[in-house]
Order: sequence, then C-alpha cells, then structure tokens
Amino acid sequence: MIYESTLYKVIRYVFLVLASIFVLVPLIPLVFMAFKTGEEYSSTSVLTPPSNWFNFYNFGYALRVGHLIKAFLTTAVILVISLAIQILFTCMVSYVLHRFDFRGKKVVQTAFTLTMFIPVVATQTLVFRMMHAVKLVNTMWSVIILYAGVGIIGIYIMLNLLDNVTKEIDEAAWIDGASFQYTFWAIVFPLMRPACTTLLIIQGIALYNDFYIPNLYLNSNVQTFTVALYKFYGSMSTPFEIVSAAILIGMIPILIVFITLQKYIYNGIAAGAVKM
Amino acid sequence: MLKISEIGKEGRRSKRERALFIILFLCLPLLHLLIFSYVPIIGNFIVSFTDWKGFGDMKFIGIRNYKKLFSNTEYISMFKNCLWYLLAAIPQLVFAFFLAVIINGKFRGLNVFKGILILPYLLNGVIVSTIFIIFFQNNGSLNAILEGLHLNGLTHKWLQDLKLVNPAIASISIWRYYGMNFIMFFGALQTIPTELYEAAVIDGCTKMQEIRYISIPYIRKVLFINIILSISGSIQVFEIPYIMMNGSNGTLTPVIQIQQSMYDNRVGFAAALSVLVFVIVLIVITLQRLLVKDD
Repeated sequence: MIYESTLYKVIRYVFLVLASIFVLVPLIPLVFMAFKTGEEYSSTSVLTPPSNWFNFYNFGYALRVGHLIKAFLTTAVILVISLAIQILFTCMVSYVLHRFDFRGKKVVQTAFTLTMFIPVVATQTLVFRMMHAVKLVNTMWSVIILYAGVGIIGIYIMLNLLDNVTKEIDEAAWIDGASFQYTFWAIVFPLMRPACTTLLIIQGIALYNDFYIPNLYLNSNVQTFTVALYKFYGSMSTPFEIVSAAILIGMIPILIVFITLQKYIYNGIAAGAVKM
Repeated sequence: MLKISEIGKEGRRSKRERALFIILFLCLPLLHLLIFSYVPIIGNFIVSFTDWKGFGDMKFIGIRNYKKLFSNTEYISMFKNCLWYLLAAIPQLVFAFFLAVIINGKFRGLNVFKGILILPYLLNGVIVSTIFIIFFQNNGSLNAILEGLHLNGLTHKWLQDLKLVNPAIASISIWRYYGMNFIMFFGALQTIPTELYEAAVIDGCTKMQEIRYISIPYIRKVLFINIILSISGSIQVFEIPYIMMNGSNGTLTPVIQIQQSMYDNRVGFAAALSVLVFVIVLIVITLQRLLVKDD
C-alpha cells in the first residue's frame, strides 16, 4: 500500500468533486428541461428545476413524432451485422499477424496502422461516389459495409490478448493433426472472447454515437438514432423541451450498457492504448 | 513415413496449406482496407486536379482547385478556426492527465467518480450539441450562472458574437473529448509497477516529483499518441460546429466545407481539400515519428 498524506487525500477529493461539477453542470439543465411544460420552459430560467418531476408528456410526444423507435431498430440492425463482421475479421487478422511470419507481413501491419491516421472524411468524397454507383446510398448496407472494416485499435486489443495465449496450444493442436482452420475456430477463437467483448463495447459505443457516416449516407426513410435526433432537432418547429426528452431517451441504452459493463470500457481502452 | 524432424512445429501442415490459410484470413479485411481507405486516398489525389462533378466527364484543370483554396480568405479562415480546437486540446490533455494521476489509487467513491467522469465520452455529437446550445444560448445556463454570481458584465451572446463563437464552441471539445484521453492515461498509469512508487516514497519524493520522474517518463508513448490524436482531431473537427451552427457565423471548418462541396457537386474541389487535410495529418504523424524514436 502506498502511503498518501492527508493533504493529498483532501486535494484529491476536492479535485474530483470539481471535475464532477464540470461534467454535470452542462447536463443538469437538459434533464430539467425534459420534464418542463412548454409554458414553463419559456417562463423559467434553465437552471430552475421543473415543477412536476412526473411530467412525462415530452417523452411520449418525442417517441410518437420523432420516429425514434424505428430509428432505434435500424441502428440495432446496423450495429449487430457490422459489429459481428468487424469483430470476426479483427480476430482473424490479429491471429494471423500474431502467430505467423510471412512475406509482406510488415506491409500488412503498416497498412492497418496507417488507417488510424487517415481521416475518414478524406476518403468519403470518392467512397460516396462508389456507393452511389452501386446504388447503396440511402440503404443501411452502405453504413454496414463501412463499419465492417478492421480498425487498428481492435487489432491492438486482440494482439494484447494473444500475447497471453501461448503459441504452444496451437502447436500442440497442429502436431496432433488439427488443420489451421480447426485450430483457430475450435481452440484459439473461444479463448479470444474477453477481447471480443471489449471490442464489442468500445466499437458499439463509437458506432452508436457516430454521426458523420449515417448523416452522409442515410435519408429520412432509413436513419440511425443519431441522425433521427439530428433531423428532429434540426427542424426548428420542434420545441426544445421535446428535444431534451428525446435526448434523454437516447441516453438510456448507452447508460445501461455503461453501468453494466464499465469495467470492460476502462480495461479495453487501456489495453489498446498500452499496446500502441 | 515422416520423421519427427520433418513434422516440425506446424505438424504435417504443408507450406501451401499455411499460405492458403494466411491468404484466406487476410483477403477480405485487406480488400476492405484497400477499397475504402487506400484507393480513395490515391483517387482523391488524381481527382483534385480535375473539375469532376461526381458524374460525367473529368477535365484536367491543373492546380486550380488548390489555388482557389489558398486565395479565398473564407477558406483560409476555416483553417484558422481549427487553431481554436488545437488550443482547447492543451487544457483538455492537462486536465485528463491530472485526473488520471489523481484517480489512480484506491479510495472510497472511486467507482462513482469513474462513472461520472466518463459520461461525456458516451454521448453523441447531437446530444453534446444540444447540451451546449442550452449552455451557451442567450438565456442559457452560462449566462444564468454568471448573473447568479453578480457578474453581469461577463454575460455575452456567446453564439452570435463573431469573436466569441469559435472559442466558445471549441471549448466544448474539452468537455467532450477529455474522457478518451483520461481512460488512455489511466490505463497506461496502471501498468506502472507500484514498487516504483513505494521506492519513491521511501526516498522522500513529493507527489509532484513522482509525477515528474516516474509517471510522465513511464507513459511517454501514450502521452505522445494522445497529443497526435488531438492535433489530427482538431484539423478534422466536424460535428459540433456543423450540428450547432451549420458552419455559419464564421464557424466553418475544412470538413464541413468538404461535405458542402460534395453536396454542391464540386467533387474536384472537395478532393483537393481532402488531400490538404490528409497531408497536414501526415506531416503531424511524421513529426511525431521523428521526435519519438521507438524505444
């Protein structure tokens, strides 16, 4: 146990409380607003709590008008398909990079590493034209395909895990006559599950929150939750207290995921960062 | 009959089988990478020298797109806007670092603080934008707080004042993005063996000395990655100024302009701007690689 002076302990709490205030102050008026009536919103300060905390009118209205439920379902379908492909691909690439030496390995590694620095935007001018040419714009497939790519953070997380899975396991299987395919799918892949969970959560949050790609590729018939929220909010006719309620609804899934899986988020990003 | 020495580490698997396996596992992800990252980057470079509209013929027009970029003050000012975001990255990283240092320990309430402090990282751009419209609007919380503190002189029309709007919305990125840096720093700090700190305490080090001589050197690499990500992020700012202001009121950024040019069928120009953004990011990374040699 490291010795910590009382002064340090006090400073730590003061600092953390101030930091928490910094985080929460901008959020609180949003929560207030979601429970206020339109009249209350225009007549009271944003810092005044709502008179009735059980006024759920705004939430009901937001759900009815904003196509939020449909957008939720679309987002869910996009995420499930693209994350499944992405995670599978990430496992496969990482396994090959970790376990085998082959000609061109350095090139493959560098190609994946460099993507971290290729701005998504810098590629979309032409990718958009490609998607347009194959008629995938305004369908969820354009978004799914773009999300299915293997990212370097994912590779780092997997490599970090594979460091702890001894190669002797593979070698034993090979000598016993197992094929490369069988060794991977039946023996190593199941051992990669914790890293898959981590990647699932990190990418799940990132893709659920992504705005640029779905905003570029999807229109009002098919939209993700972020885009639905944006369209909702962009139409000036929507009262602000309704938008606030819609936002609180949008925060629910992410908070549930977070509260149950907080540990993985911290550990996962940390694992990725350390490997870099 | 095979001899043991011929079986080798990979059993009786042949070289051909091995090659096939590697190719099979890499081909689709690599194809994706090629089509959606590398082909567009190279394609952009070519298209940036043409007047392509996104359909029809392409006419080679030399460096006219680039000339346009550098001659129009509006386009130059959008790169200047990025500097505000770069400036905001400094307090963002410092805050994230000290937060990580201070939370790295065991004490009561640790998980509650961890939960609160990670909140902004979980929210999407539309949510963050709405939160900060409420915060910065004329009758919003910032002005209400200032009035409550009897600092009426400091209240402003934050989003309408041309001098204040960019620093105001750039400061949002501190709130929005510090969480990512914080988790990365925190993760890196956890890899430092506690023996180092114990030795430091025995030697009579102060907390600041510990940070200076143990924490910072130990997580130098992660620090640099975060700096690089912040720099390359500030040139790619999009969501907050786009959602909050639609790039109006002098809040245009290169990425918003790329998107608008795409919608206006000026793909050649959008490509030139994309190339410029890419080159800037590339320069930043090269500098980083030169500054921090692999350990």
